[in-house]
Formats: sequence, structure tokens, C-alpha cells
Amino acid sequence: MAIEKIFKDDASEEKGERARMASFVGAIAITDLVKTTLGPKGMDKILQSTGRGHGITVTNDGATILKSLHIDNPAAKVLIDISKVQDDEVGDGTTSVVVLAGELLREAEKLVAAKIHPMTIISGYRMAAECARNALLQRVVDNKENAEKFKSDLMKIAMTTLSSKILSQDKQHFAQLTVDAVMRLKGSTNLEAIQIIKKPGGSLKDSFLDEGFILDKKIGLGQPKRIENAKILVANTAMDTDKVKIYGARVRVDSMSKVAEIEGAEKEKMREKVQKIIAHGINCFVNRQLIYNFPEELFADAGILAIEHADFDGIERLALVTGGEIASTFDNPESVKLGHCKLIEEIMIGEDKLIHFSGVEMGQACTIVLRGASHHVLDEAERSLHDALCVLSQTVNDTRVLLGGGWPEMVMAKEVDELARKTPGKKSHAIEAFSRALVAIPTIISDNAGLDSADLVAQLRAAHHEGCNAGIDVITGSVGDMAELGISESFKVKQAVLLSATEAAEMILRVDEIITCAPRQREDRM
Amino acid sequence: MAAVTAAPPRSSKTESYVDNKRKEDIRQANIKAARSVAEAVRTSLGPKGMDKMISSANGEVIITNDGATILNKMEVLQPAAKMLVELSKSQDAAAGDGTTTVVVIAGALLKQCLTLLSHGIHPTVISDSLHKASTKAVDVLTAMAVPLELSDRESLIKSASTSLNSKVVSQYSTLLAPLAVDSVLSVVDPAKPDMVDLRDIKIVKKLGGTVDDTQLVKGLVFDKKASHAAGGPTRMENAKIAVIQFQISPPKTDIEQSIVVSDYTQMDRILKEERNYILGMIKKIKATGCNVLLIQKSILRDAVTDLSLHYLAKAKIMVIKDVERDDIEFITKTLNCLPIANIEHFRAEKLGHADLVEEVSLGDAKIVKVTGIKDMGRTTTVLVRGSNQLVLDEAERSLHDALCVVRCLVSKRFLIAGGGAPEIELSRQLGAWSKVLHGMEGYCVRSFAEALEVIPYTLAENAGLNPIAIVTELRNRHAQGEINAGINVRKGQITNILEENVVQPLLVSTSAITLATECVRMILKIDDIVNVR
Repeated sequence: MAIEKIFKDDASEEKGERARMASFVGAIAITDLVKTTLGPKGMDKILQSTGRGHGITVTNDGATILKSLHIDNPAAKVLIDISKVQDDEVGDGTTSVVVLAGELLREAEKLVAAKIHPMTIISGYRMAAECARNALLQRVVDNKENAEKFKSDLMKIAMTTLSSKILSQDKQHFAQLTVDAVMRLKGSTNLEAIQIIKKPGGSLKDSFLDEGFILDKKIGLGQPKRIENAKILVANTAMDTDKVKIYGARVRVDSMSKVAEIEGAEKEKMREKVQKIIAHGINCFVNRQLIYNFPEELFADAGILAIEHADFDGIERLALVTGGEIASTFDNPESVKLGHCKLIEEIMIGEDKLIHFSGVEMGQACTIVLRGASHHVLDEAERSLHDALCVLSQTVNDTRVLLGGGWPEMVMAKEVDELARKTPGKKSHAIEAFSRALVAIPTIISDNAGLDSADLVAQLRAAHHEGCNAGIDVITGSVGDMAELGISESFKVKQAVLLSATEAAEMILRVDEIITCAPRQREDRM
Repeated sequence: MAAVTAAPPRSSKTESYVDNKRKEDIRQANIKAARSVAEAVRTSLGPKGMDKMISSANGEVIITNDGATILNKMEVLQPAAKMLVELSKSQDAAAGDGTTTVVVIAGALLKQCLTLLSHGIHPTVISDSLHKASTKAVDVLTAMAVPLELSDRESLIKSASTSLNSKVVSQYSTLLAPLAVDSVLSVVDPAKPDMVDLRDIKIVKKLGGTVDDTQLVKGLVFDKKASHAAGGPTRMENAKIAVIQFQISPPKTDIEQSIVVSDYTQMDRILKEERNYILGMIKKIKATGCNVLLIQKSILRDAVTDLSLHYLAKAKIMVIKDVERDDIEFITKTLNCLPIANIEHFRAEKLGHADLVEEVSLGDAKIVKVTGIKDMGRTTTVLVRGSNQLVLDEAERSLHDALCVVRCLVSKRFLIAGGGAPEIELSRQLGAWSKVLHGMEGYCVRSFAEALEVIPYTLAENAGLNPIAIVTELRNRHAQGEINAGINVRKGQITNILEENVVQPLLVSTSAITLATECVRMILKIDDIVNVR
């Protein structure tokens, strides 16, 4: 008896070997795509938008590349998701996590071909991951007690993170910038308080850290350009025409003078509104919406600095850092929380005038002003800086630090290898495969730098047999002491890479059937 | 997606070199595309460079020699070529001049990189060496530079005319160069002597006359007629000027309104009331002694009506309407007055004063000039004239370049020789330096040095000289220590270019070198083009 059709017309089903094959192929293709961006000598990609304008982005950031891909393969989507999670959680290591997961799958593919059951592979991988994590835990350095040393750790981590990015030439400068910014946060991971402003012109070296807040806006005409001990009212209210609008209402009059009266009344309403705002005892008014000429003039007459059309992000941040609240009604002056700062003044950065708020309520707040040759450079610099900031703020909370340059992978690989030797049964193959996948990372790093990876990795392995600080020194192209070179990484990032890559690989390995649902039919609107 | 499926995943598992080959191809394709862009603008370099005619999609024709403009209008699609366009834009923003130079240098560097890559040198090695070479190059240039005082008007004019000489309007450089210098110097704020905001210089274009008639106006120029309705005044001495942001027209509410007319007498009354309303406003204006009104354009309702213009004319008030909101800041800064947003606030102290406001006929068009402004802000207006729109636009672009050159000099007060002299000197010094470097680095730096010779080579070629003879002769002269020997395109020979008054700001040369290197390094590091959403 033939079975009735189970699925809809266009749905498809792939089973067993074929399904597993499809996942492997997709995941490995993604890995191959991003793996050339890994490490300090990694390459960049051009992302060419197929949308309107054909805009291009040049980037080295794994998460950015993966985020913008068109992907149809379900396994590839899993990898993209772990990269996104890594980006949200710790901010860096987005490429590493995908590469590691890809390499694990590549190894698993061979094992499956050798007739080892996926479940055996998974349990082997689990054991290996646990063992690798313990190996790392044993070797971490924690300088929490020693502030001086900890700060130098942070510097090293920042430099290591930045060295694989566009900022590598000025990494010293930017590492200092990011460390200063993160230290100001005093342990909070609220990166909102760090504002990044991009201004084309100048070179990357001209970027600087500014305590306080900078708003990319102009001060209204005829208003004071400098205010000390400012009381700031942040608002989101309509002031975009000269008069107060009443929607939906309609008046019928029988003479011109009455129209004039109503117009006058409307104007009076606006004046009242402005008076109410002024009655808060403020000397700076920031509005998210436009402030038109008439209210602007009223503010100017009252000697109040009025800033119009501050973008939403700017408003929220300003309210946050000055300790105020965004107001939209002005009837109860006592219930509105005003923001405070010591000084507001107009400053010039490059060609543009901006408004600078210094001595703000929330002392953590600061602004990083990025300068650079073009928008491509600035955008990429912002992404790099964001990565560094994320890692640093994570490290401030979890102060455990590891060495970098392929060192952690080699340490883990060694321990895992030993475990493989001790483990009886088929699992041992999987554990061994895990170690090979780990070694793939230093291999890729040296390949990207145009070095002889086979030779270097062999040297590394030999050096690690003794248990030392050896890693790949990409700059000189040899094996070097990572502690001396000052290449460090955050433990939290490494751990996240290890665990989520293993999890993702496990998840994809478990799949033995892919069911593609029939695409939803579009209604014919002809 | 295409990129993902294109890679044969099965084979890449074991044979990774197959993958690398594809990446090489992408790099080559990028370099080729970028070079072809550079080739396209190469012929417009230098005083004898040719112009390009661009006919844009909407049928508009532009003739220009300005690298940034050419590239901007080319509408290239290839991403690497686009980066070269961006490069030219960055140079425009950073220095304002040398937009062609920067692209030509980038093209030459890419050509050398292609050779280096084919020798099997890893792109990152090339990229790092280029960075080193460019830092060194900037040092060499700085060492060559001659310091300059702002009071040295002669030198400023010289460098402005060097920039202008390569443009369509080169025959007017004697007029435009001093003009550019004067206008920049007049907006320099003594409190912040190295900052110049070019927005304080307004360029007004007006068709008619020739470029010769271009002039610097100490005051304001409006590319508009004074309102002629009902015979209002067109010339006003001892003007008291008000900038108003309200409208002199019948009232209009934000609430939707309609006037219900039920009989004839009522209609009459409405007309009368409208008249009274406007008259009342004008009386208030007149009461302050104001006699020139600048009225901001309004999108909400008519800024002025025929009726109000009529009354204003009667009251002997000159009216200039439709002033853009963006211009208000410039105007108020110049006139040293405050904008008035409400009739109630119309007070005498908000007015600006000028000796003369008059409407001037230029050919068949008219403009309004405000001169003799009391307590004038630090702003300047340049009135550019030209016999046709193409010349006019090109004159504006050239003038902008010249202004930028002067601005560069104000912010970084060093001059350097022109005519290919700095490039050949750089090439010589870097060539010597490369000999003491080790390994690949030395090799790459030497290529960098060779690439820089493209500038004198192209200059000579464009001037119809024998490029090889000229470049070798230049090398020879520089080797003998004449670091300022350059190509004198006018005479067609090599002379001491500093004595020929061909000078340019240091900032233009250094930023051309650093930006070009940065861009080339970026292109080198790209190994894939991914299509995304």
C-alpha cells in the first residue's frame, strides 16, 4: 500500500547521509569564506550590496561579513547565529568561533566517512571540550589584585584585539584610548556611555578621547555659545512650526480679523509653551524635533541655548549622561528631572562645529572622536573599536587573562591529545580529531600571514611539549614567547569560542534529516 | 550567496590552493579595475593636462579638469574602482587640491604591486612596506618644505596660481589667485589663526560677462532681484536691514480654516481687513526705521503677497524675498544682526546697517549687492562670472581648489616646490633608503620609489615633452643635489622650480601620498568580493 503524500507540493526532505552531507558542505563553505580574515595578517572582504546604490563596505570583522550574507543552507545559518551570539556576548572572536566550528565539522566528516557514529563523535567532542577548558583554567593568569599589572593586561588585550584590524598601525594609540574609556566605566558593561563620533578628515592618529559628551549639532542663532553650570532639559516635543497645532480641528469664521485672532492665539499657545519650558529654570533646551524660527527666537531672547533636531540616539544618551529625563509635557516643573553639566561650549573638530558638554553628571561617560580618511575607514575603525571595547569591558568583570597568538589552542590541543591516549574505544578518535581542529587555528593564522604553516605549527607543537609560552609571532614569522611579546587574550572570549563552537558543531552533527517547508505562496494580486 | 556556492566545497577541503587561486584572481581584477580608473584621469594632470567632457545621464554636459569631479560623475560600479573615487573625495576633503595627483599615484602604486604580487610576495608584506615607505616619504617632504608666514602674500598668491594654472581658467590665474588669497585671509579669525571655515566664503555664480569680471565683494551678494512689484525702491543708502523669518501675508492658522462669506458687504469687509492687517505690520516695520527687508522663504504659506509688496513699496522699503533658511546664518553673521521671527519682536536693535544696498544689472540679469556693512562679520563673498554655464561651473570648482590651497597654507604653514620636483626627490631618497633595508621590504620600498616617478613622467607626457628624456634628466639633476629642479612646462625644460614660483602647500603633497598609500593597502588586503543584501 503506497503511503499518501505527507508533505506539501514544494516541500522537500533530505535524509541520513545526504542531510549530513548538506550540512557539512554549507558549514565548511562558510568557514572557508571567513577564515582568510583571521589573525593580524588576515585579509579583508568587500561587501557589495545588491540593494539600491550598490554601496560597498570593506571589512575584516567576521560578524559583519556573516551578518550580511544571503544564506540558504540551514547549517550555515547555525554558524552565522553563533557568530552573532559571540558578537553580542563578548564582542570579539566572531571569526574564531565560526572557524573552529567549521574545523570541528570538517574533522567529523572524516570520522563519519570512517563509519563512526555521530553520537560517538559528539560524546568524544564533549569530553575533549571539557578537558580543553580545564587546561585553559589551569593556565590563566589573574591580576585582579594588582591594579598596575591589570592595567597593563588590559593594554595588551586591547593591542591584540586591534592588531587584526584596520587600526593595527596605530594600535598603541587606540589601545590607550579604549583602556581609558573602559576604565572610566568603573566595571559597568554599559557601553552606551561611551559614544563614538565619526568625522571624516585628518588621519586615524588624530582620533582622541574626550571626557564628557559631544553632540553633533549646531547652536541656534543668536544664542549663547558657552554656558557654565548648565541646567539641561531634554525633551521630545513638537516645535516644528511657529504655532501650536490642533489636529483635526477646523474653524469657520466670517472675517479676516478673526483668522488673525486665531493665528495670534496659536502663536500665544506656542509662547506659553516656551514660557513653561523656560519656567523650569533651565539654560539649555535640547529637543529631538525641529525647533522653528519663532520659538528659537524666544529662547534666544531668554538667553537659553536651544538645540533642535538632536537624533534619537543622541537624546537618550544625553539624558543618560547628564542624569536628566526626557520630558514631553511641561506643566509640572517640579516633577521633571533636569540634567546638569558644568560647561557647554561649541568646539570645532575638523571642519565642523559641535556642541561639547563637559563635567556631566555621570562621570563614566566619555566620547571617542574618530578621524579618518574616508567613510570606509571610519566605519571599519568604529567596528574595530567596538570589538576592543566589548572585550575590555568583559575583561574588567572577568579578570582572567590568557596569552594569544595560537598559544591557548596549542595548550588545549596538547591536553586533549593526552586525553585521547588515555581514552579507550572509538571516542578516542573523536577526541584526537578535536585536537586537530584546535591546531587548525594557528595553522590558518600563519597561512594568512603567508608563512610556512606546516613548519611553524610543528615547531610550536614541539615547543609546547615542554609547556612554555610559545606562540606564532606573525610579524617576524617565527615561533616566539607570547609573554614577552605582550600578546594576550581574554579568558572569557576564548572560553566562549570553545564552548559555543563545540555546541554548534554538535548540533549540526546530530541532524539526520532536513525538511524544507514549501515556500509560502504569495497571493496573486493581478 | 554567489560567492558561497561558487567555491567548490568538496575540493576546498583538501586542496586549499585551488581556493587561493581564486582569491588571487579577485585581487588582480580589483587592481586592474582601479588602474583603469587611474588611467582615465591621468591625462588631465598638470598645467598642460587635457580636460574631460562628461555627459551625464540626464543630458547635462560638464567640462572639467578636476579629478574629484571627473571621478564623481563617472558612476563606476566595480567596488575597487569605487574606492579610488572615494580616495579622490577624501583628498578633496583633506586638502581640496591634488585630487588628480592622488589617483595617479595610487594607480602607479597598484601597477607596481601587481609586479610584486606576481613575484610571489605576500600582500600583507607589500602592504606593511608601503606603510613604512609612506611614513618615510612624509618625513622627506617635510624636510624639503620651506616655512611660510601668513603676511607673505606673494608666496600665498604663487601657490594659489600653481593650483589654478592646471585648470581651464588658467589664463585668469593672475586675477583669481590674489582674489582667493584675499578672501581666505579676510575670514581668518585672529583668535584662532590656524582655522579657516570655508563656509564663511560664499561663492555666487552669475552667468554673463567673462571670468575677468569675477570680483571679491566686501559685503553680501544676492543672486536675486529686488522685488519690483509696484515700483519699490531698488537702491537704498544708509540701509537698515532686517532679516525676517515671518510672513507678510494674510494670516493663516495651523488649524484648517475657512471664511464663510454670506453677503456682499461682508466680502468688502474681508478685503478691507486683510489690507488693514498687512498695513499694520508694515507700519510696525517702518516705525523701527527699517528700509531693507530680507524675507526668508516659507513653505507654509506665501512669504509675501502682491498686496504686501505694494504697501512695502509705498513705504519705501526695499524687499528681497525667498532667502533660503540655510543662508540665514551666513547673512546674519555678515550683517551682524539677528533674525526676527515675529512681528512683535521687530525692534531697531535687531537690524543690521549698511552704507549701500543696490540692485546692479549684470548683462540681462540682476543681483543685489550690500556694501559698506557696519561691524561686518568675518565673511566674504566672491562673485564669479563666466560666459557660459560650463565655464562658470569650472571657474567655481577651480576657485574652490585655490581657496583650499590657501586654507591648507593657513593651517600648515609650509610650502613645497611643484612641477614634479618633490616626487622625483622622494623617489631618489627612498631608492637610496631601500638599499639599506633587508629582505622583501627593501624590494617593495624600491617599487614604491619607482612608482612616484609617475608624476613627473605624466607631467612631461601631458605637456608633449619626451617623458623618458625629462625624467632621466630630472634624476640626474637631483642626484647632483638640485633638490628643487622640476619640470617647467611653459618653457618645456628643467629649471629650479622654486625660482619659477611654482609652489604648492606641503599638506597637499603629504596627504596625497598618505591617502594614496592607505587606499592601495586597503585594495591589496581584499581577497574576496561578497554580494550581500
